[in-house]
Amino acid sequence: MADGDAEARIDRALVARARVGDDPRAFEQLLRRHQGMVRAQLRRLLRGDIAAADDLAQETFLLAWRKLDQFRGEARFSTWLYRIAYACFLQARRKRSWADDDGGDEAAEHVPAAMPAVDLQMDVERAMQRLSAAEQTVLLHCVQLGLSHDETSYVLAMPLGTVKSHATRGKAKLNAMLAAWHPRAGEEKIP
Amino acid sequence: MNPHDDDPIDALLRAQFEGPVRDEGFSERVMQALPPRRRRVDWPVRAGIAAAVVTCWASLQSAPVLHEGWSAWASGRLTASAMALLLAIAGMSLLALWWSVAEGGEA
Repeated sequence: MADGDAEARIDRALVARARVGDDPRAFEQLLRRHQGMVRAQLRRLLRGDIAAADDLAQETFLLAWRKLDQFRGEARFSTWLYRIAYACFLQARRKRSWADDDGGDEAAEHVPAAMPAVDLQMDVERAMQRLSAAEQTVLLHCVQLGLSHDETSYVLAMPLGTVKSHATRGKAKLNAMLAAWHPRAGEEKIP
Repeated sequence: MNPHDDDPIDALLRAQFEGPVRDEGFSERVMQALPPRRRRVDWPVRAGIAAAVVTCWASLQSAPVLHEGWSAWASGRLTASAMALLLAIAGMSLLALWWSVAEGGEA
């Protein structure tokens, strides 16, 4: 948590430098610090469509650059970026159309072969694909990106209660779908 | 963080997440596409304030309430005109204070 606070302070200082000092190098540092997670978020949202995710990530950072004056520090900079990225994703989804239900097997193919417990990974991936889109999105942000429920609610512009219920329901479904793995899941040491 | 750190489902989901993507030239591409930031142009605001002050002054100069209020205030009498003048000044000061606090909070 202390690390998180220190990171947030560094981000705020860089934002101030980029905004007040009009310093592109400060923005470049922010970009380098956050591009990895924003791109990971978008790749997940786009079910592994790397090219489209990177296009949206670029759009996200260009928007962040233009809207930097609107960042008021109420949320962490990373959370603010996730919110912009999610808005870009929604806008792009309205324009184009990504398959909502049939991406399961394709997404499962993106599990790196070198990882341990590949079967378990693929089952988790398939189980995730069987959740509703809202449950997947909430679990991505709450668990995989490590945001709090409040932050997830901010990023997705979704009421806090809805975020909590999607998270609880999604986990309960995953628990039921992955019940067969439970005895072994404890033994697996996944890095 | 959420209070589910020991939840096996959380652990599975976190393990299944690939984590941050490596940069591999992405930041450089974005920096090259970055447009010059538009500096906030503040002359319209200054010109607007100046025009408002001049207009206000021109319209109030001929109004007797301002002269009456000012002379009553200067002589220490609390007439209705003086009260109106005081209330207007107090109102504008409060507005300026609120604006300064709001602007300071955003910085």
